[in-house]
Amino acid sequence: MPQSCGGRSLNTFNILLTLLLLIRVLSYPVPEGKSGQQTVEALQKQIEVLGATVSSNFTVDCETYGTYQQTSQPQHINILHNSEQPATCFAVLDSGNCLVADLQFDALMNKIKMFYIQKKNARVEAKGLRYEYGDFIIKVGSVVLGQSTSFKGVIVEVEYMPAVVVSECFGLMREFMFSFMPTSVIDATTNHWKTKNDAIYAPQDTVLQYLEHFNNFRKSAVSMMPPMQ
Amino acid sequence: MSGVQVSIEALNECQIQEVTLDGQEIYVQPLSMSDSLSKLAHKIDFHRDECETKGKPTSEGDKEEEEEPPAKNAVFQPSLWPWDNMRTKLKMALTETSVLLDVLKIVKEKHYMVLDSVSIDQPEAKPGFFAVAKKRALNSAVSILSNGAERLRKSQEQAAKRTTPNFHYELLKLRSKWRLKKVGTTILGDLSFKSAGSRFWQSGTFEVTKNDLMPSDFKEGAPAHTVRSPLQVHIPSELESVAYIQVSIRHTQEGCEDLASADLQLPNSLPGSIPSDTPWQRRLETAQNVIFCKEVFVQLAREAVQVKSPLPHLVIGNQVFSHLFPGMQLCIALCHSIDKSRQSSIRPGPKPDHNQVLEHSLHQLVRELHFKNSYHPMPHPVSALLGVSKKRRNAGPQAFSRTELLDMTHSESMLEQIIRQARHFVVRTRTLDILDKLSEEITDLQIASHWCNLSSALESMVKVNITFNGYETFKALFALHICVDKIRVVMKDGRVINLSYEPQELNDFILTQVAHHHICIVQALAKLMGWQLLTSNSHIGVGEMEPVGNVQSIMLASPLGNRVIAVRSGPFSGVHVHVQKTPDVDTIRELHESKHVSLAEKWEMLGGPFHKVHLDKLEGRNFVNKMELLMACLSSERTDTF
Repeated sequence: MPQSCGGRSLNTFNILLTLLLLIRVLSYPVPEGKSGQQTVEALQKQIEVLGATVSSNFTVDCETYGTYQQTSQPQHINILHNSEQPATCFAVLDSGNCLVADLQFDALMNKIKMFYIQKKNARVEAKGLRYEYGDFIIKVGSVVLGQSTSFKGVIVEVEYMPAVVVSECFGLMREFMFSFMPTSVIDATTNHWKTKNDAIYAPQDTVLQYLEHFNNFRKSAVSMMPPMQ
Repeated sequence: MSGVQVSIEALNECQIQEVTLDGQEIYVQPLSMSDSLSKLAHKIDFHRDECETKGKPTSEGDKEEEEEPPAKNAVFQPSLWPWDNMRTKLKMALTETSVLLDVLKIVKEKHYMVLDSVSIDQPEAKPGFFAVAKKRALNSAVSILSNGAERLRKSQEQAAKRTTPNFHYELLKLRSKWRLKKVGTTILGDLSFKSAGSRFWQSGTFEVTKNDLMPSDFKEGAPAHTVRSPLQVHIPSELESVAYIQVSIRHTQEGCEDLASADLQLPNSLPGSIPSDTPWQRRLETAQNVIFCKEVFVQLAREAVQVKSPLPHLVIGNQVFSHLFPGMQLCIALCHSIDKSRQSSIRPGPKPDHNQVLEHSLHQLVRELHFKNSYHPMPHPVSALLGVSKKRRNAGPQAFSRTELLDMTHSESMLEQIIRQARHFVVRTRTLDILDKLSEEITDLQIASHWCNLSSALESMVKVNITFNGYETFKALFALHICVDKIRVVMKDGRVINLSYEPQELNDFILTQVAHHHICIVQALAKLMGWQLLTSNSHIGVGEMEPVGNVQSIMLASPLGNRVIAVRSGPFSGVHVHVQKTPDVDTIRELHESKHVSLAEKWEMLGGPFHKVHLDKLEGRNFVNKMELLMACLSSERTDTF
């Protein structure tokens, strides 16, 4: 495992992984009384045992706006903020096109209320701790959906700062992640890198991966909801 | 018909155009028939919708045309016909065609009307009159020009002749260089740098008065008496006299001994009041300099209190002390001799040396600050916040990370910048001293340093060559990057060594390099002379310990193998050369004489003890030359055999 060498590079590279707790609950019998928070804590403890140090907190939140007109196919804009880029606001369309804008873009969304309205109970937020370990940054957080503060899943982000191309460091990262997560989880990454494995990393790559996971969380949350009486 | 005759006379039929001074009235001539017709014809608007003329292709066109002006305002009722709009359009077209037909008829068939060209009286051309008028106009222009030229010539002659300068002329000169304004009856000027972006509180208002040339006419209150100039400037008393910022680097332990030495900014005299009869330009410049120096000092003193540092900066009186390195501090003082007693208390003992380079960069930093205050990047878009830099504006769309944003907020105060520059200055001066000292001390070889001329206030570079005279092919090369508080050494093979600001480290490093170079050059020489390298050790563990660094050694065998040279080179102990002879004649003779041991011939080739070579007694220019001669001498020696 590489030790810390040199300073931070400007371009960073992220791989995003999730431990979808709901699925695990369904797949594997978890001991009675073990909550999601406990899972997060266990994971954090494992990372701390590795020698990583807590640097700060992190937040990634996502708001969804839908078109006002009911006639055509509904279209969505997802507005995401990442605490790693505090001055930036990401807007992602359904097609996957990502707009990187200033924070004032939020104010702009308020101006176009006539066309896009905010979806209620669609806010997803991932919050947790940010660890630093040499050239790696590890973020372990819990995902919260809508107004409820109920726990929906665990999200893990691992970043290897010196690299800018995924394909060149995936093996290294996989090996690193294996030290605190089971292999089955590591291999179930998102679809994001499948197409652009050789592209140079940009901050929107992280955000797109988060969005993909958030959408998964939403879908599973809907499927888990009790049917309306 | 009998009765009263009533005679009717038309009153003024014609309009009075003008009444001359003698009471005569000039009338406007009545219009002739053709004139009045053309005038009336002008009034006709052929484009108007004349409803009453519809469908009347009459031949009484001229009558009709004269009746037209009182146009009948037909009240249009909103028609219910579907084609009403079309009908009116057609009607209009019909009307216009019929009018056109009428006009054509009138023109063509001469019995209705004869068109006659309107004769307008042309003014009679009078060539003589024009010539006179032109001449007169030209004359007046010539007189204006020649008057102006005359006045200019006069004023220039006056200016050339003028021994006593005129007040207004002086004022004009003053106005071209300084900001002046008139308030009431007084003329006020401004010395401060506020228009250049300064935010210093002190106002630099001065007053300009006219100086009556007779000294007896002076008022008592006038502070300065200019004898020559008719223009007098009154500068506030706190801006009088000379001021400057003194920057010096001092050794704290050794009192006032200074590292940097340079002349004072005002070398001729200590700051004192300038004589009263100096020209106003110089007095104003000096006063402005006082404001500038005060601003610099106030800014530095404020930052010294605000900026946190491991060793706090000190502000004592008019001096700011900050710690550069252990035993070395930067002292920035404001020297302003407003009163003599205070000045003498400030500077006791010998005058500390002044560092002009740092003073200049201090001035530059203040100018930069002024520039930043006065020139803001324009907001983009226009509705955005003012004062946001372009980099910060792009931070959002370019998705800057948290660390990049944090780096952007970090700004360095003026004091910190000048301290960094001073540190670099100290390190650079120390490096320079060490290189000079060593190249002076070590006479056997040449230490040549080439300073790079592309340097900044915070970084400079020097390349060092170590060579022996006459053997320049073999040289030791390294480059020193002098940073703010460290020296980075880049060796010939690309190794990088970081040295601290302590000069002793650099000294030791260069001595080690010199010692190493001795061994390297002996090895290279051996190759040339055909000697064989037996061992070469860069860290030998025997012999006397060096205070710093390691002793290196090399052993060489002569081409015949009967002589061995051992060279030992240490950074402090210097170079020692030993020679071994084989066979050692004395030992073998002793052994033969003792007869206790029988010796086979092969044992005679055993090496004997090493004998020290006194290098200073050898012939040769330098160490390498001596070694070359020694090797040449030993190679030719044959083995002594019995």
